[in-house]
Amino acid sequence: MATKKEIVQKGRPGTDIEARREWGSPFTSLQREMNRLFDSFLGGSSLSPWLPFERGGAEAFTPRVDVSETEREIKVAAELPGLDENDIDVSLTRDTLTIKGEKKEEKEEKGTDYYRMERSYGSFTRSIPLPVEVDTDKVEATFKKGVLRVTLPKTASVIEKTKKVAVKSK
Amino acid sequence: MADKTKAVQEKENIQVERTRSTNVYTPDVDILEKEDSIIVLADIPGASESTVDITLEKDVLSIYARVEPEVPEKHQLIHAEYGIGDYQRSFTISNEIDRDKIEATVKNGVLRLVLPKSKAVQTRKIAVQAG
Repeated sequence: MATKKEIVQKGRPGTDIEARREWGSPFTSLQREMNRLFDSFLGGSSLSPWLPFERGGAEAFTPRVDVSETEREIKVAAELPGLDENDIDVSLTRDTLTIKGEKKEEKEEKGTDYYRMERSYGSFTRSIPLPVEVDTDKVEATFKKGVLRVTLPKTASVIEKTKKVAVKSK
Repeated sequence: MADKTKAVQEKENIQVERTRSTNVYTPDVDILEKEDSIIVLADIPGASESTVDITLEKDVLSIYARVEPEVPEKHQLIHAEYGIGDYQRSFTISNEIDRDKIEATVKNGVLRLVLPKSKAVQTRKIAVQAG
């Protein structure tokens, strides 16, 4: 009992509370918390290899992107709050998906004061390298609730090549 | 300047016991003041008008936006920059706001709250006449 108390006291104040509030294992959530801390300290997610470096500044709007895949397709989701489907331009070359657009600042009439400006505006380009060849004719993009979702089916040859190797027990 | 910010202030550190197993994020907001109202804009991508709850209790205006995860089960995440989760943020508003006329709209993942100022505090311009 005494040892436990000592450990808790030695820890940085607040750390244990932070970990408990997170879901899942306390160690992974602590690691996630640390990563987030470092990320925000070093200028947002600009450390990510897929984010354009030249942008860097906190003011420019850079959408966040999630990429997921199954055996048959790749899905790209980008958070684009405040944009209209007409403001978004999605293009595809053989191995890169490019999302372009502009988040326009709402024009408020005269006599408007800002208290707080946390949201960012401006034009952006994100190029996402695709890990495998995709069927460019069957790519679909939808925009709903401020989230763009692009579904890229893999080409038949890619699907064929990926073969599951059965692991046998002896 | 300091006088103005009294109308809407962020309420920090609200600890709420949660019943859903998702992460909760603080949405980015812009707060602007016009002559007759205060406007709060919040980025809540993934939430729609039917999943946003706005409550006003005493002086605390709380925004809670639920996000339904849309990554299908079979998909494996290979690159993640944002987490899926709900949005929550609370603000303390002063008596200068006309509470019965607060309006909220959600479009393209942006919540827009219009908080009209009550008649009593609206700035009136008084014309100065030559005597």
